[in-house]
Amino acid sequence: MSRGGPRKPGLRPPGPCRPREEGRLSPGNSFPEALTSQLPPPAPPLPPPGPPPSGGCLLPPALRAMAATGSVEAALQVAEALETIVSRCLGPEGRQVLCTKPTGEVLLSRDGGRLLGALHLEHPAARLVVAYVSSHLRKTGDGAKTFVVFLCHLLRGLHAMTDGEQDSLASKHMQTHRRHWKNCCRWKLISQFLLTFQTHRLDYIVDHYLSRHFGSIFSSSTKERTLCRSSLESLLAAYFGGRVGRNNRDFMSRLTCDYFFKCMARERGSEEVLDLVDDYFVELSVGVTGLPVSDSRITPGLVLPRDFSVYRPADGDIRIVIVTETVQPLFSTSGSEFILRSEAQFQTSRFWIMERTKAIMKHLQSQNVKLLLSSVKQPDSVIYYSGLAGISVVECLSPEEVSLIRRITGLSPLALPHASSQDEICNTVLVKFCKPLTFRSKRYVHLGVISTSSFIPHCVVLCGPVQGLVEQHRDALHGAFKMLRQLLKDLDLNYLIQTSDQNHTSSPLVYNESDPLPEVVNGSIQRPRQDTVLRNKSKPAKTQTYSDLVVPSVELETCIIPCSAPKVTPTGTYQTDETLRCFSPTKTRINGDNEPFIESNSANSTENTRREISYENLQITKIPGKGNLLPVREKTLEICAAQGHCFSTIPAGCVLPVGGNFEILLHYYLLHYAKKCQQSEETMVSMIIANALLGVPKILYKSKKGNCSFPQIYVRTLHALQTHQPMVSSQTGLESVAGKYQLLTSVLQCLTKILTIDLVINIKRQPQEIYDQDSEEEV
Amino acid sequence: MSRLEAKKPSLCKSEPLTSERVRATLCVLKGILTSSYGPSGRLKQVHSGFGGCVCTTSQSSALLSNLPVTHPILKILTTSMQNHVSCFRDCGLFTAILCCNLIENVQRTGLTPTTVTKLNQHLLSLCTSYLKSESCGCRILVDFSSPQTLLCLVRSIVTSKPACMLTREERDHLSALILRAFLLTIPENTKDRLILGNSIIVPLKGQRVLDSSVLPGILIEMSEIQLMKILPIKKSEAFKVALFCASLSGDFSDTGEGTMVVTYGVSLENAVLEQLLSLGRQLVSDHVDLVVCQKVIHPSLKQFLSMHRVIAIDRVGVALMEPLSKVTGTQPIGSIGSISPSSYGSVKDLCPAKFGFKHFLHLIPYEATICSLLLCNRNDTAWDELKLTCQTALHVLQLTIKEPCVLLGGGCTETHLAAYIRHKTCNEPESILKDDGCTQTELQLSTEAFCSALESVAGSLEHDGGEVLTDMKYGHFWSAHAEAPSIVNWPDLLSRCGCGLYNSQEELHWSFLKSTRHPFVPQTYLPHEATGSADNLTLDCFTAKLSGLQVAVETANLILDLSYVIEDKN
Repeated sequence: MSRGGPRKPGLRPPGPCRPREEGRLSPGNSFPEALTSQLPPPAPPLPPPGPPPSGGCLLPPALRAMAATGSVEAALQVAEALETIVSRCLGPEGRQVLCTKPTGEVLLSRDGGRLLGALHLEHPAARLVVAYVSSHLRKTGDGAKTFVVFLCHLLRGLHAMTDGEQDSLASKHMQTHRRHWKNCCRWKLISQFLLTFQTHRLDYIVDHYLSRHFGSIFSSSTKERTLCRSSLESLLAAYFGGRVGRNNRDFMSRLTCDYFFKCMARERGSEEVLDLVDDYFVELSVGVTGLPVSDSRITPGLVLPRDFSVYRPADGDIRIVIVTETVQPLFSTSGSEFILRSEAQFQTSRFWIMERTKAIMKHLQSQNVKLLLSSVKQPDSVIYYSGLAGISVVECLSPEEVSLIRRITGLSPLALPHASSQDEICNTVLVKFCKPLTFRSKRYVHLGVISTSSFIPHCVVLCGPVQGLVEQHRDALHGAFKMLRQLLKDLDLNYLIQTSDQNHTSSPLVYNESDPLPEVVNGSIQRPRQDTVLRNKSKPAKTQTYSDLVVPSVELETCIIPCSAPKVTPTGTYQTDETLRCFSPTKTRINGDNEPFIESNSANSTENTRREISYENLQITKIPGKGNLLPVREKTLEICAAQGHCFSTIPAGCVLPVGGNFEILLHYYLLHYAKKCQQSEETMVSMIIANALLGVPKILYKSKKGNCSFPQIYVRTLHALQTHQPMVSSQTGLESVAGKYQLLTSVLQCLTKILTIDLVINIKRQPQEIYDQDSEEEV
Repeated sequence: MSRLEAKKPSLCKSEPLTSERVRATLCVLKGILTSSYGPSGRLKQVHSGFGGCVCTTSQSSALLSNLPVTHPILKILTTSMQNHVSCFRDCGLFTAILCCNLIENVQRTGLTPTTVTKLNQHLLSLCTSYLKSESCGCRILVDFSSPQTLLCLVRSIVTSKPACMLTREERDHLSALILRAFLLTIPENTKDRLILGNSIIVPLKGQRVLDSSVLPGILIEMSEIQLMKILPIKKSEAFKVALFCASLSGDFSDTGEGTMVVTYGVSLENAVLEQLLSLGRQLVSDHVDLVVCQKVIHPSLKQFLSMHRVIAIDRVGVALMEPLSKVTGTQPIGSIGSISPSSYGSVKDLCPAKFGFKHFLHLIPYEATICSLLLCNRNDTAWDELKLTCQTALHVLQLTIKEPCVLLGGGCTETHLAAYIRHKTCNEPESILKDDGCTQTELQLSTEAFCSALESVAGSLEHDGGEVLTDMKYGHFWSAHAEAPSIVNWPDLLSRCGCGLYNSQEELHWSFLKSTRHPFVPQTYLPHEATGSADNLTLDCFTAKLSGLQVAVETANLILDLSYVIEDKN
């Protein structure tokens, strides 16, 4: 503990994490050195995850300065250590990592997010990075490793740039405190440049220069948007190349592709299928250990991981019902009292219960019901009577399974009190088959449900020699569907058009959660409204009962609607189909073809009656009659001339060849942009980003020799760009542009956060949640 | 609020396979496994100082589940093998040894993991496609018209478990019994899907192995006094059986979530008992002969039934319920209310039986796919081992029904396969090299690692210091006794190859397994008459071995591909 500088032992009670940082993170033989010896010691850790006994601790002033001087250096060292770990798993040549859990489970992974999580890092900067990575992963499902590499290179660039300056600045007379302050100011400034660059310039570059290189996974031959199978396959192959072992890459991408196309009834329904598969992936996949990976396959229908309680083979029309309570009536329900006066009464009650159970089963039988799905355990007698009535029973379905079956078939649970009355039960649906299925001597229920939507139910059976591998493949498959779901959505871009007036460029439109910058001109503070829910209905009637049968998910999209209060003037430019204006105290009618309703939550909750909301770049979702959703998206490129704002999109399905193409292209255009720049800060920022971008392709081509080495590829690509020749890629895979772009913005946001933090305060409790002060309690 | 302990940071090791400790432990594990392999394998005594029974075994399932493994890499290896064993029950040691060999050999070559895993995958697909192809020279199609092949298969399995401590005569007896038990589980007339029944293994420890036998139907064990009570059993054409899964003890549990108020003086017990007795009356009036209950029967009801000459057996347990419902041809009754007459089953005959010192009631069905295998062995440990062996053999027979072919055993498949792969990669390397960007040298090195891993699995069959050889025509495995003179006439010293298909009197050339050989084409297309005539072949289960091969290579690839091990130390 000698390298801690001016730290006094008494002032910092040795928390549970402190001594271990050296001891535990000092790993086996060739672990990256930085995490062991070069970890910047004085940076006090962020609040530890578990709450040790209460009592905050104040930092001594001397330490405070020490704590922060290293913020960039510390972050860099941490990032470098993480990079060395992550870079070995990156790309098609990456290798596996084995994670063990305290429970004894063994997990194989190449997933960056899981890897970072498994490390249980304590360093505050590292934890910040991990938090950002995981929030990025939640959004896109991909790119954790690239995130770390990229962040590391950015920090390295910043560090290298400021190294020289620092020496001149830090004259020996200057107080440490003041120097620190100065440092902080400078980092803050840089972070502001970064942020401005990210929000205004980056989109412009992507939209104006990069977009000409985009390919699409939709086949271009037809006018309709149809997914091109071969493009999808190469996209998935590239994705799995970074996620699963090399041997299983092709197998897994073929399996995923097959699965996707088998599940899709029509070409147009891809988005609904992806949404459903992503939401219910756990229920749609079955893991089997002990078999080779190549035995994995796709089975039609649903596979429920349990056995029949009673199985009666049935052919022909098989109808199913779902119950969510015990079929057999009970003596007393919760909250009621059953008074027993005589033994005869008791016997009659039991008799009645039996008879009623029997009657319900008879009735179900008469309705041709052959299978009873129950979310609860049924008593023995129910099983017995249903067996007598020729009805198979599957018990203890999880809520997710029930909701999946409901979503696919539109079946709603049976209301039991009415079941025995003589009228027909409407809550039944047909299934194609219903039979037991056996994998490695474990029994499953195989159910051929018939879908009412564009999703044709299929299950994927994932085999592997060990559970850890099966889990890895399951995660990778799930991530692939997340990635595809993201890919098939448009991604909005907005930026400021460069004008001669400098005022415009310095009034940024702040979309992220960071504090508004001080130099906002005109006093127009624009807040994003995230809670506005856009509801579209096919009929203008205000029916609140939204049947699950027709539309499974009510909230289709959450639009972020920037509502700028002071100056919105009704101009004719907004009166198009895509951009709708509305004057909304409560509900608003919009003049369009199909007259949809837009219910604005914000308008309902607030009492601000005179509010004008301008919907820009609005996406209308039309719902045709039959209940299938076919979102129609129209790209808009709209320029609001007054402010110089420009709105554009990365259209759905945009791809680029894999192997660092995105990075090298963006690098090229950023350099190009930097040359034209007027401001030195912008030049600097774009240079840093441009150089950092090369980090990923450098790692990807590390093992390649000769003609395929990184310098060769780099020079060739740049040459091709300069002479406007088509680029040649050595690899065949594809990757999503939107994903890459989102990754870039996430990294830049993370970096801004790192740069703006000037002090890390170590507290001994879990941080309190900050409640909204303007909550209703005051009223 | 409860205190939570802060998370400890994880321990991260890079390139785990290079560590000396891992290599050493892998080596120890391999030593344990190889020394137990095959009919002449050495037994392992697994013993805990804390007590519990001593386990003497040479089977992978018993060994692997008992070995305390701490290192994550070994954990991956052993769980992988255990998963394989729980799937197929056979070829566990083969898989584990092959996996260890592969890891060791590949490390020795010094190739990068990337190349090796890629090439291994190619070699594996060569193996699997060859084994599945028509031209395969080590695969025999099973002829179901004669029991010979199946009997050989069972005998090979029984022979390969030395911890059962069987003599030759006992082995033959037991093999025949197992095959008979299996044949009894096949339904006589099936429609489209074959649903096999099961054989219930009934323990009878302390008896001679030759006393083991197979009986159709179910044996329900009961004490002598119980048996005396129900004797004599009145004879009838068919015995009507009522099979209950609901408790008949008069308990009363399902009252719901609300409260139940019972007025003073009202006895629920009496009410329930009254109901039970009325159930008894119904049973008697329906002329039921036998009442079997999974749970407990109330003593009063029991007495009532025995007064009316109805045999009542309770507490048979959930494990017997499915076979019982198959034997009696009925569904268990889950209600103590009225019983529909259709829920009664029947058996052909009921008779008391005594085997050793145990008394049973024997339920003989009309036609069912359930049989009982009375298994005897001298002591507990040997019996446990024998039971595992029987389960393995029965399962392997089931697998063979699904995929009607077997592989040559005794190491011959391994050496034959190695010869085939060597020949293939030597003569047609283009097919592998074209899409991978590997060099010819890399392919050769990795082929050598792969093939010698296969061959040393075969070599591990020899434990007595003898020479292991392969012939240059069929590529089969031969082993010679250790006490051979230095210069020998091979045909005299070797009698038959490992699987017993070929004898040494043919014009054959031999070569040591360890030595380098010129690649040759092993004879493909096994002639049918060759397999028909031989009646004492050593055979292996096709499905289990094929899957074992795949799992071994996949697991080895997985382990070789590891770049880091992150251990969570919480």
